[in-house]
Amino acid sequence: MNDLETLSGAPVHPAARRMETDFNAGRMDRRSFLRALSWLGVAVGGASLMPDLAHAQATPKDGGTLRFACQIQEITDPMMSQWIEASNLYRNSLEFLTWVDADNIVRPYLAKAWTPSEDLTFWDFELDERATWSNGDAFTPEDVIFNINRWIAPDSQSSNKTAFAAISGMEKTGDHSVRITLSRPVASLPEQLYSYTCAMVHRDFTGNWPENPVGTGPFALQVIEVGRRAVFTKRPDYWGTPAHLDEIQYIDLGPDVTTHLAALSSGQVDLIYRATIAEYDLMQSLPNIQILSGKSANTVVMRMQVDQAPFDDIRVRKAIQLAANNQQMLDIAYRGKGTIASNYHVSPVQADYFPLPAMARDVEQAKALLAEAGHADGLAIELTLGNTQGKWEQDTAQVLQQNLAEAGIQVKLNVLPATQYWPIWNKVPFGLTYWAHRPLGSMTMDLAYRSGGSWNESHFASPEFDAALDKAMALVDPEARKAAMEDVERILQDSAVMVQAFWSEPMTAAAQNVQGFVLHPSDYYRMDSIWLS
Amino acid sequence: MTLGSFLLRKTAVAILTMLTVSFLIFLAFEVNVADVAVKVLGQYSTPDQRTAWLAENGYYDPFVIRYLRWLGGFVTGDWGLSTFFRVPITSIVFPRLGASALLAGGALLVIVVFGLGLGILAGMRAGSLLDRVISVFSVITTSIPDFASAVFLSGIFVFWLGLLPGASTMISGFSLRELILPVLVLGLYSMGYLARITRASMVEVMGTHYIRTARLKGANPARIVLRHAMRNALITPVTVIMLQLPWLLSGVIVIEVFYAYKGFGSLLYDAALNQDIYLVEACAMVSVLVVVLSQILSDLIYGWLNPRISLGAKA
Amino acid sequence: MKILLPYLKKPLVVIGVALSGGWLLVAFLAPILAPYDPLETLQPLARPMATGADGQLFVLGTDMLGRDILSRLIWGARTVVIYSTLATLTAYAFGMLFGLIAGYMGGRIDAALSFAANVVLSFPVLVLYIVIIVLIGASPLNIVIAVTFSSAPAIFRIVRGITMDVASRDYVAAAITQGESTWRILLVDILPNTTGPLAVDFCLRLGYTAITIGTLGFLGLGLPPPTPDWGGMVNEGRAMAIAFPHLVIFPCIAISSLTLGLSLLADGLREVNEAKERQA
Repeated sequence: MNDLETLSGAPVHPAARRMETDFNAGRMDRRSFLRALSWLGVAVGGASLMPDLAHAQATPKDGGTLRFACQIQEITDPMMSQWIEASNLYRNSLEFLTWVDADNIVRPYLAKAWTPSEDLTFWDFELDERATWSNGDAFTPEDVIFNINRWIAPDSQSSNKTAFAAISGMEKTGDHSVRITLSRPVASLPEQLYSYTCAMVHRDFTGNWPENPVGTGPFALQVIEVGRRAVFTKRPDYWGTPAHLDEIQYIDLGPDVTTHLAALSSGQVDLIYRATIAEYDLMQSLPNIQILSGKSANTVVMRMQVDQAPFDDIRVRKAIQLAANNQQMLDIAYRGKGTIASNYHVSPVQADYFPLPAMARDVEQAKALLAEAGHADGLAIELTLGNTQGKWEQDTAQVLQQNLAEAGIQVKLNVLPATQYWPIWNKVPFGLTYWAHRPLGSMTMDLAYRSGGSWNESHFASPEFDAALDKAMALVDPEARKAAMEDVERILQDSAVMVQAFWSEPMTAAAQNVQGFVLHPSDYYRMDSIWLS
Repeated sequence: MTLGSFLLRKTAVAILTMLTVSFLIFLAFEVNVADVAVKVLGQYSTPDQRTAWLAENGYYDPFVIRYLRWLGGFVTGDWGLSTFFRVPITSIVFPRLGASALLAGGALLVIVVFGLGLGILAGMRAGSLLDRVISVFSVITTSIPDFASAVFLSGIFVFWLGLLPGASTMISGFSLRELILPVLVLGLYSMGYLARITRASMVEVMGTHYIRTARLKGANPARIVLRHAMRNALITPVTVIMLQLPWLLSGVIVIEVFYAYKGFGSLLYDAALNQDIYLVEACAMVSVLVVVLSQILSDLIYGWLNPRISLGAKA
Repeated sequence: MKILLPYLKKPLVVIGVALSGGWLLVAFLAPILAPYDPLETLQPLARPMATGADGQLFVLGTDMLGRDILSRLIWGARTVVIYSTLATLTAYAFGMLFGLIAGYMGGRIDAALSFAANVVLSFPVLVLYIVIIVLIGASPLNIVIAVTFSSAPAIFRIVRGITMDVASRDYVAAAITQGESTWRILLVDILPNTTGPLAVDFCLRLGYTAITIGTLGFLGLGLPPPTPDWGGMVNEGRAMAIAFPHLVIFPCIAISSLTLGLSLLADGLREVNEAKERQA
């Protein structure tokens, strides 16, 4: 018997009771169970949803300065972030309504409880009454309404506009409570609120956060110099559990991870943002560092804009998929340190993953399709990429280039510096884009493939797909949701929108004395749990 | 020609050069107004925003007016705002230039001490084993590009031996240890060339009549070198050293990027990668200014070392 | 053969000729010499002298993408040699043309051209390249343009100096009185005198250009992949250089040996030129 209880004290959602039956009957694993419960604001035995920040084996030690090698870009408005690096800077001072740790379970943060209606179309969020801004103001429902209104405003440029398109109304229901109304059921709403663009800014926010860095978070911004450094210090008056570190110094060491590792190895920094497969052997050979790695749904997508010639012909797109050797891309460009994928951008690590049969490589069929599409004597295309995560992006593209050559497709690689790729990532007809992990496949689908979505870089538009996605997103039960994702994935795979060859394992490195650090699959670094021994 | 009129003439040429360069730079970067708007406001900007911005900033004025305004701003220290770093350009260029001067100064010291030293040693005993060893060393170091020595020296001293820091950001203040590798790499590439020039010059001077006479008279060899040979032998090398300055400005780009050193070279590189056109313009202007000034300086030093040649004569 | 004899007596010149001529030959014979396709994925990260699964021998090992490094170096020689030579030659064409004109005509034309040359020369080379590449992007043609633009003024200066010197000599004055055309005088009477010093400069400049193309590749501003390019190979391999030193050592040796060969050749040419002058 499980002791189900809600965070708010409200009655337990009926879906939670149904899942409990399935779980007790052994039809559902504990993790999926806890996770789906957390969406509904339900905990087992009360304790499982409580923040577990310490990850503690030893007693954390307070004090000290952590030096973090990370590129420092301009930050202005958290909802506009395109780089996770930037969102990690905000994360020190700005908080989210919910918090999703590496285990994918949604935990209370600024919201201490949430209760959905039975049909999942309105949600009551109860805010933590202790939460206060660094300027002394209380964190109120007005703040929540102000933020969400900005996200979904008609002229909003934020990716949140697509992610929260279902929100149809908001209402203050008490001093510390707010009700969000949806036009269609979305089960994972609490989980989506921890997306990196969802940091809560003060209701007086005017568009440039560093100018007036008010936040509810455990650290205060002291300095930010683009391309150079950023400094955050611990706030003694933080409303929650105070951070361990006195200060965090972000140091921009340029784009080259080898330099980051050199600095780590010689004790100039304590933590680096991310390493890539190219540095794998180098990391192994350094004695004084700890390597952190994990599984995630990070990937690169070589997507084709379905309304641009020659990619407006599905036979061409299919031929490209058939000629691509996904296994070889994984083995060579990422040296096998990842999981093979099959061109539909939902990952086995995502809770709603439904495994489709892998696509087999067939160069002859690819040639036949090309001939049918009128490209019998070959086809010349250009692939644009920016090595935003490292040279392995280019390596992946080069393997694809070789693969496609076998089918008579000549690919020209247009390699741009990372900073020049981001401004055009959704503009180029054939581009290689890095997609970070999302805890749910449906979240990626919603952002990247829903008709007219703000981050829909492939211009893929299918009412059938949208409907299937709506259906899946409304389901709480993990098994039912998985089953519903089958259609979503199949439509996408059949439409041949992209070559998506593998899921890359994230890895990074830290000095030996950095404690309490867990690699988050989305590279979301919450710094208040970290301490130095 | 007196020193005064020499300086006056040189300054006039320098100013004319700077004017021409400024016009070329402005022409190259800002003749296409639409392009400027895209680079400053970004690809996400709407056509309306661009038009408004262009109008607001006087971009619809005639080209010459815009150029003169830009030049006026440049002369009075108003260099505009960096689109990438989001700070006034003057506030970032000068500290960065200072940091590069430190790096280039260190490298110059290595070049002068080792280049001259090895060249003099080799030139004093032309044909000896030492001479040959030095010659081979100098020709080989000149043939290894600085990026290659940076990779190798970092591999050895940072990763393998763990003796030196691998990044030279100096974020937490000046650090001599962080300066060692960049200075060494920069110096290594150029000192071989200086050593070869010095050696040749030395050999020539050592073979001249008066040195041979002094030798025959049994004067102390060290004394001969110091009193007689050095001054004459140094004329060419000093010119070469001054000519190294513009080269060092190129060299620092690779080294600063490699070691994440926050100097002028990495600034220009970042500006270029980010299409930060105002900053690229300013960096180009500043680097040309440095070159022009170093040319005047080298003429002065040349004249001082070699009083027989009048200032301003074609050398 | 007689003309070549004084050059061949110098061992350093012989080494220089062997190295630079060797690379030239390699560049020309790349399709014959390269054991494999430089772009083909064979087996990733094989060590030097390793044998592949299908019995292939990787003399210098393979890179991360499994491409044979020896073959890439050989084809890369083509890139470096062809583009540096092409760029240097165009630079020479412009530099010599304007140098001859300025030196011979003198006066305002000379003043204007010399000033223009000084303006370009006041840009540090790499700064000029970066500015040009920001403006027009990186492609083989643009790299040739950038090199031409930055090298031509230096060549201009040399040619102009020699032309001024030669133009004042008696036989040129004689040619003018005989009514020969200006072009004929420039090309037949003056140009040949410039070959000695220019040959030296050509070798050195070729070496610098090779290094500069390498540097651009290293900075990620060079030729787009997968074109084999020595500087790019160093850049691509350096993250893995600790575990797989062969990724960077061989391209470095290649670029250094080419530059070394060219500078030894230049030294030898200079010495022989000087000896000739002393004889004359």
